Amino acid sequence: MADYKLYSTSALGGYDRDFDGATLKEVAGLAVVSVAVPLDGKTALAAAVKSAFGCGLPKPALSVLSKDKSVRLVPTQADQFFAVFEHAEADAADQIAAKLGDAGYYTDQSDNWVTLALSGPIARSALERICPIDLNPEIFKVNASARTVMHHLGTLILRTGDHSYLLMSTRSSALSFVHTVETAVENLT
Amino acid sequence: MSQNNRIDGGLIDRSKSLKFTFNGAEMSGHGGDTLASALLANGQRLVARSFKYHRPRGIFSAGSEEPNALVHLRRGAHREPNTRATMAELFDGLQATSQNHRGSLEHDLLAINDRLSNFLTAGFYYKTFMWPKSFWENVYEPIIRDSAGLGRLSEAPDPDTYDRGFLHCDVLVIGSGPAGLMAALTAGRSGARVILADEDHLLGGRLNSELNEVGGQAASDWAAATVAELADMPNVRLMPRTTAHGAFDHGIYGLLERRTDHLASSGGKPRQVHWRVYSKRAILCAGATERSIAFANNDRPGIMLAGAVRSYANRYAVAAGKHVAVFTNNDSGWQAAADLAAKGVAITAVIDTREITPPATIKGAALIMGGRVRDTAGRKALKSITLSNGLTLPIDCLAVSGGWSPNVHMTCHQGARPVWNEDIAGFVPGDKLPPGMSVAGAAAGTMTLAEALKSGVALAREAVQDLGFPSAKTKAPAADDEAFAITPFWQVATPKRAWVDLQNDVTTKDIKQAQREGFQAVEHLKRYTTLGMATDQGKTSNVLGLAVMAEASDRSIQETGTTVFRPPFTPVTMGAFAGSARGKHFRPTRRTPSHNWATEHGAEFVSNGLWQRAQWYPEASESDWRAQQWYPKTGQGGWRDIVNREVRKTRASVGLCDVSTLGKIDVQGRDAATFLNKVYANGFAKLAVGKVRYGIMLREDGICYDDGTTARMSDNHYVMTTTTANAGLVYQRLEFARQCLWPDLDVHLISTTDGWAQYAVAGPNSRKLLQKILDEEYDISNEAFPFMACGTVKVCNGTPARLFRISFSGELAYEIAVPARFGDALIRVLMEAGQEFGVTPYGTEALGVMRIEKGHPAGNELNGQTTALNLGMANLVSAKKDSIGSVLSKRPGMQSEDAFELVGLKPVKTDEQLSAGAHFLDIGAAADLENDLGWMTSVAYSPVLGHHIGLGFVKYGHIRKGEVIRAWDGLRGTDVEVEITSPHFYDPDGGLQRG
Repeated sequence: MADYKLYSTSALGGYDRDFDGATLKEVAGLAVVSVAVPLDGKTALAAAVKSAFGCGLPKPALSVLSKDKSVRLVPTQADQFFAVFEHAEADAADQIAAKLGDAGYYTDQSDNWVTLALSGPIARSALERICPIDLNPEIFKVNASARTVMHHLGTLILRTGDHSYLLMSTRSSALSFVHTVETAVENLT
Repeated sequence: MSQNNRIDGGLIDRSKSLKFTFNGAEMSGHGGDTLASALLANGQRLVARSFKYHRPRGIFSAGSEEPNALVHLRRGAHREPNTRATMAELFDGLQATSQNHRGSLEHDLLAINDRLSNFLTAGFYYKTFMWPKSFWENVYEPIIRDSAGLGRLSEAPDPDTYDRGFLHCDVLVIGSGPAGLMAALTAGRSGARVILADEDHLLGGRLNSELNEVGGQAASDWAAATVAELADMPNVRLMPRTTAHGAFDHGIYGLLERRTDHLASSGGKPRQVHWRVYSKRAILCAGATERSIAFANNDRPGIMLAGAVRSYANRYAVAAGKHVAVFTNNDSGWQAAADLAAKGVAITAVIDTREITPPATIKGAALIMGGRVRDTAGRKALKSITLSNGLTLPIDCLAVSGGWSPNVHMTCHQGARPVWNEDIAGFVPGDKLPPGMSVAGAAAGTMTLAEALKSGVALAREAVQDLGFPSAKTKAPAADDEAFAITPFWQVATPKRAWVDLQNDVTTKDIKQAQREGFQAVEHLKRYTTLGMATDQGKTSNVLGLAVMAEASDRSIQETGTTVFRPPFTPVTMGAFAGSARGKHFRPTRRTPSHNWATEHGAEFVSNGLWQRAQWYPEASESDWRAQQWYPKTGQGGWRDIVNREVRKTRASVGLCDVSTLGKIDVQGRDAATFLNKVYANGFAKLAVGKVRYGIMLREDGICYDDGTTARMSDNHYVMTTTTANAGLVYQRLEFARQCLWPDLDVHLISTTDGWAQYAVAGPNSRKLLQKILDEEYDISNEAFPFMACGTVKVCNGTPARLFRISFSGELAYEIAVPARFGDALIRVLMEAGQEFGVTPYGTEALGVMRIEKGHPAGNELNGQTTALNLGMANLVSAKKDSIGSVLSKRPGMQSEDAFELVGLKPVKTDEQLSAGAHFLDIGAAADLENDLGWMTSVAYSPVLGHHIGLGFVKYGHIRKGEVIRAWDGLRGTDVEVEITSPHFYDPDGGLQRG
């Protein structure tokens, strides 16, 4: 075999742009693993999660951070959540499986998504233009998460701070997605 | 022109002088003016021509109900027709021109229509342009279209941008008059999230147009103070310049916010934002709209609504005339007269249709009770009126009040009908309001100020209590409870034309004619006469028209009924509905991981749903393919040569195709095998780990809707592949099956379509090529990795990958998948490693050619109408198990002997071209449905066979192989003899793909 090596490219090549009142950038190197709860296996999985991450299973619409804050568990549907953590290698599902054993079913989702971080004082106003869900800070609190649609694109939104959000959408339409968010911000600045 | 009609007071900003032009004439106004108030201030009486008769028209109202004063605003591509001068805020440099005239506004050539009015009555289109029939399309319609309409579009692309958005609130208050302000204040003080929207730029509604006192101060001052308090509340969002235009399901309202229409330039920002508001409660405080009285020649410039004349005086500091008379049937006309007199405007007379004691004395005015206006004079501006007692009054402005109609429109947007209230002579909301909506103030028929304020408080309190907020102790301020008494009076009998609908030139004569001709039903009346159509939707005319019809047909107004109110309340720019979804951003696009590489290599892309897929990849020597002629008949030339080369090279050595767009679904769980066995028609229970199987999926009715492969990666882990087009549909149906049909199965699904870059590596040298990039420990010899094998591997020194030995081309072939992040790198490595084999990338065209050569069905065959039997796969529908669709696929009608069956077709004369869509007929049979034998689904020029080939469905196809039939294409005018063959033109035994 020749000495080939495959390099890695992010969906948007490291997009990073400052606006007046907001910053929008691609978050590369984020591992995303879906964890499915086996039928009748919720208790066992909860115990495994508690043991591995020091936290409980995420409740609907509210993500939870592991005790050491290195892993965020994001609820995605009734019997499924995502484990999101910084990890550059393409073995994220193995990483989670090593921690949770056979308590869940794991699928590496890292390459399915493009992740954008939108932050700044006008972030919420910009999202009002594209995000149908209620982002009122009293309702969509820090760590809240929701699956929604922005400009026809399925999106997972997470509130990570007072004025900061993570937006995850499908990788193949990353250019359309960043254009949508970018336009929403530009229309305000 | 100078502002000769400007008077003292008002809410305008006199420190701000604004210049503008109307039909090129330079004029000036002040901050806070509308174009209408500025035109009146400058003495511009004639501003438009009417729709049909081209009658001179002036400003009629002071709000969004304006039927007359429609103008072209701005220039060039920014020109917007039918802009209501009464709603256009004045800005420095504004350019407006009048519309709907041929020649100048003053000398409109089409004013001849006015003299032909006897021929242009209601329904004249239908009666006049009947003969000769051929003239309609070529003569009449072009002429009518040329003369009809109001403003003209610029016909240039709209250079402005628009946006959309989403808002949420506990209480949406629509309208910021006395009821709206109190509702917002009450709800806001309770802590509820409130949105207060008003179409006006200055919040306060009629409080800014009247001189009443509220809470011991001038109404407009109280409004300003209240708005200031609301503005300080973080839980309240004030939205001036925002029209709530529709009440939709589940408390959703459409709001159009005009962001930059009041500025000379949008500065590149969205001109308007169309908001979708999710509300828990809505309080409609939309007020009421004044209406006119029908009398002879009541459409002249200078004849206006009394409330508008009052607005212009009190709010805009403009006297609409030097000598004003008031014609009314209710007390509000007197209030207008009193306000004007207080401003020093000469009131010549107040003519009240009621035989009552005058409600007030107006200084210097003749008070004529029981009076009627019989006629008016003045071609381009009102000069005088003649009363029924024969008295002629020289005046330049007649303020008319025929009563006020509550703005019930949005209460009816979900199908409810308003009910007639005789006390106020107006329709009020019916019992069935949109869920969550309540109505306060004049919109509910509460016509006095004090009561309106109280109703705002009461309904807001009710709403917030319902929502669980503590009710703040907000009280309505003290206010005048001014008299509101009306005795309905609709029309002054006259043989002349008396206008009901100014915008559509509908007169009382037209309505009576409609009644005589049988168009009495209110919806018929609207369509026959055009009453209530166009931009104003009859806001000032509908009730008057209904009343005239009621009188003519001797029915009550309630019996006559109203037309249906539909959104939008006022016109909404089409661009606002589109928002930023325009041009190439109309919808998202999806790109595969090799997109950049393909672009670098000149690939020609095609949209496949949202996906952009490479159709073919020209080599350097083929770069001028666009300039080359291609010949459909011979399958040569231009892009065809590229496709032919891609097919030949793949079949001769090796080719690469990006198949990342195929749907991929991860299926996991203890019961995954059971689940797959239920969703696929063929058996999947016994698929071994490390093996792939082709499968078909049926709908419940037995129709085949998708096909693909599923690979078993481990005991409880499968990877399913769907067609590109059906990826979403299959996933949706699987989730339904999982959640609703078999919730007791332990099975879990997640899409991985975007997560993998997947390439088909096809051709006799595909194994050799892959061996160059696979890590050494992997053996993919035919023995170790046979046809339909799969596995997890590593490539290029440690990158995880999946390998499937499957073939769509019929060649020895594989599909190799790596995480999408490595997709760009992998295609480049494969191309480099494949150089020694002359590797070629191939696009969707070559993919299509090879699958037709191989006889694989695709979208053209899986068209939602075909069964497994049609597709020649009846034996795939397992009889040993139950699966979705298997029972209904056994229906007699789907098992008949003469069912269409998939076959191959080749032209008898091999230089003839085939066409998809052609129907099959026996030799000599007439081309009719009775003789129809089926149809051609897919065709291709086969570079391997050197002629066209096709796939198609033929009745009794399996027993007619070798027979010659005709492929008749009535659309393209071709009739080709074809031989029925096996659909497998290439390597029918499958030896190559197994090799």
